[in-house]
Amino acid sequence: MKKTLAIIAVASLFAGANAEDKIVIKGSDTLGAKMVPQLAEAYKEAGNEVTFEIAAEGSSTAFTHLQAEPAGIGMSSRNIKDSEVETFTAKGMEIKDWTGAYDMIGVIVNEKSGIEGLTLEQVEGIFTGDITDWSEVGGDAGPISVYTRNTSSGTYKSFQEMAMNKRDYGSDTQKMAGNEQIAEEVAKNANGIGYVGLAYTEKDGIKAIPVDDVELKPENAKDYPIARSLHYYTVKGKLSEAGAKFLAWATSADKAAEIVERVGFIPVK
Amino acid sequence: MKEPAFKRRGFQFLGLNTQDFIRIFFGGNASLAIVVLVLICVFLAREAFMFFPDHHKDLKTYRQSGQEFVDYIGDEITAHTNLYSSLNIAYYAEVNKSSKEEDSILRATRAVLANVENLTAKTWGRFERDLDKLEDVNDDLEDLDSESEEDRAKIPVLQAEKARLESEVDLLREKLKKEIAEVIESDAAWELGVGTAKPPEEAYPKIKEAVLFAASPEADDDHPYIENLKDVAREKKKVAAEQLVAYKDTLKAMQAAVRPLKSFHSELRDKGLENKKKLVSFSTAATRKKAWEKGAEVAEDPAEKERMLAEAAKVVIEEPDYEGINQVFYDSVPRHAELAGPFEMEMAKLYEQIPARDEVATKSAKENLKRGEVFYKRFENRLSEGREGVKEWRHDKSISVVESVSSFLFGRDWISNSSWHDFYGLLPIFTGSLLISLIALSVAVPFAVAAAIYVNQLASFREQNFIKPAIEFIEAIPSVVLGFFGILVFGETLRAVSQVEWLQWVPGFPMAERLTILNAGLLLAFMAVPTIFTLTEDALNNVPKAFAENSLAMGATKLQTVFRVVVPTGVSGMIAAVLLGFGRIIGETMVVLLVAGNKIKIPDFTEGLGVVAQPAHTMTGIIAQELGEVDAGSLHWRALFMVGMILFCISLLVNFSAQRVLKRLQKV
Repeated sequence: MKKTLAIIAVASLFAGANAEDKIVIKGSDTLGAKMVPQLAEAYKEAGNEVTFEIAAEGSSTAFTHLQAEPAGIGMSSRNIKDSEVETFTAKGMEIKDWTGAYDMIGVIVNEKSGIEGLTLEQVEGIFTGDITDWSEVGGDAGPISVYTRNTSSGTYKSFQEMAMNKRDYGSDTQKMAGNEQIAEEVAKNANGIGYVGLAYTEKDGIKAIPVDDVELKPENAKDYPIARSLHYYTVKGKLSEAGAKFLAWATSADKAAEIVERVGFIPVK
Repeated sequence: MKEPAFKRRGFQFLGLNTQDFIRIFFGGNASLAIVVLVLICVFLAREAFMFFPDHHKDLKTYRQSGQEFVDYIGDEITAHTNLYSSLNIAYYAEVNKSSKEEDSILRATRAVLANVENLTAKTWGRFERDLDKLEDVNDDLEDLDSESEEDRAKIPVLQAEKARLESEVDLLREKLKKEIAEVIESDAAWELGVGTAKPPEEAYPKIKEAVLFAASPEADDDHPYIENLKDVAREKKKVAAEQLVAYKDTLKAMQAAVRPLKSFHSELRDKGLENKKKLVSFSTAATRKKAWEKGAEVAEDPAEKERMLAEAAKVVIEEPDYEGINQVFYDSVPRHAELAGPFEMEMAKLYEQIPARDEVATKSAKENLKRGEVFYKRFENRLSEGREGVKEWRHDKSISVVESVSSFLFGRDWISNSSWHDFYGLLPIFTGSLLISLIALSVAVPFAVAAAIYVNQLASFREQNFIKPAIEFIEAIPSVVLGFFGILVFGETLRAVSQVEWLQWVPGFPMAERLTILNAGLLLAFMAVPTIFTLTEDALNNVPKAFAENSLAMGATKLQTVFRVVVPTGVSGMIAAVLLGFGRIIGETMVVLLVAGNKIKIPDFTEGLGVVAQPAHTMTGIIAQELGEVDAGSLHWRALFMVGMILFCISLLVNFSAQRVLKRLQKV
């Protein structure tokens, strides 16, 4: 029994090392939770002999990952920062930016809330802590509980840039680990507000509210004030061949576009 | 000749035999552990203490870029915003009071409708999917080309499909109606949610009618009752607002008063950011240049080489002219005085016009006006501080070491990944950790100590054999499992309990959040019980048997013996147990990360014991949450290491004192 186990273990070790190329993708939770894993599955089903290693721990990790492993792919829901570009230059590396999809960040409130829409200015006020009670924005009285992503998240940063005029988050905000947790807390708290990617707004117990009177719908992507592009980042000249092939497929194939749409983003094409 | 009892024989190498080697092996393992420990300490200390020079430099940048100057004005605006917000909330409390009843009905209707929809979500989903499909089929039918032979062949297939879907949709519609009618009778549908005022009793049948109307598949609009109610509420609010029109005008004037200062601030803010960019670019210029040159060296393609060298040449290493870039701030001092003076006078005049606390009716308005008084004082202070601050501010004033260290140890803000400036202040996370630990200890100690005394002294043999392993088993539960339990079960229960009416005297109830200091503290108490229990029991075991026997022999009862002889003798061991329990609690990460709510703010102690209902962040939590994202060697990374160092020191101190206390016990 033990012997057979050992043989299987050894065999699988060899299989992993030999037959296929491995693509390592790390970074944003927004891309890495659903979209990229499903793209990877479909890519394998399409007959490509590769294995994937995907880790979604926040956009900032994309860049630390790329520096350690220049052959891999980083995924980020925000633009690369100047300071990050500099760390790459300092290592003699140059970064390449691929647009993977477009995303809209939905402002969500509890479905029992009477709030039927906010202006961008009100959103800024709520998330910076200037506005602390629902009655100030036309709701029933009650202290606002604000849920945000944590600081390593690209959504944290892009929301700050697009909806908060680059101001700092209020000190009363609570930092959650991911989109799911925010949706979960808002669904359970009648005075909650938070933001999540388009793909997460369908959850029970929450509703996405219009911002500046524009509803959160894929066809409104142009007018909706809190929309952004999602990126893949690679190091020029260092990306593995399998990785390049995968990226080309993920950003252009029809099947890939279909998956992007299914998980709630807007395809590039 | 007699054989010796022990014969020296067997394996020998370099004069060492097998036993020596075994001894060396075990000794080596022990010393390896110590070496690793020392290495960890050295690594931690090196990374952590490099924080202070870096932090000092960062604070210097903050000053030299003039951002510090801008923040004086920013603080003035924040103080105004806080004041305005509390007065504004008070105003709306007064206005909304007029339509309280209507609002409560509307709110209840929304809640019940949402509940009903959730409870019937499955059928809804199927119904909507079928409707979509039906629409697709209809589209297909329309698209058919009646000329084409092929298309004509499709017609019957599509027609059949359409008929099937139509009947299914009808069936589902009926089913949905039935389900809704069923569900609305259940208690779950009438769960109104946290902190919702109950609507008057006589409105319930109406609410039910409105919900049934709105939930039905055909519904497009609100029930006329609801429409009407909305209008009534709106009208009532309007009338109430007319009464308070003077108040509203004052508020509007307050908003207008701050506007010039606000735009002045945002102008300066842009300048500050620009300056910061210059400073950062200067500090990285040398490395960037070197990086391009290095890249050029390794480049094989000559064109590439040339390009990289050109890039390197483009990088100019030139120290910014600090005086020059900050001139704009020095120049703006008089302008600030020009704006702030009239602003303060205007605000004082406007604040006079705000109704006094006894002129408003609602509790919320009174509370918020009271908050407003505090905020107004703070606002006045901020303005005078700001006026002094901007006057005396110098970009080249040096920052003392004490200043830079205390801005970490006693800093009240922890802001990372900011677009403006990152602040690393320990106080919010330190108080969070401490508060959670204290709650955990104050709950765990009585339970664990009492259990230990009972098991050790009073329990029967069979009870001992059951209770001891059961308590020790707690330690085997992974903390992440406890964390999930804390979010999904415990937090939810705690919040539900806090809504119960006759418990409202408890400070902090009703709780709005489910991720709170209290939740985390109670879970940690649960985790600390086995540690404290086991060690306390050991301490009691160490009390010499003769003590208890003597006491019993003198005629003392069992309880007298336990509480007068055994426990006092073992007390130092019990103190050590509590200290080690504290060490266990303050170092725990997973539970607090998941359950404490992660709000980086010093808990608001003005709420008294109710402070436990607030969320907080902890030292361990912040390391776990932020370390993954940071660049190795950056200031943020070092700040996190410094937090780790402080945790390490606390643990060390706790262990050290525990050992000291234990030593005293052994002397007895």
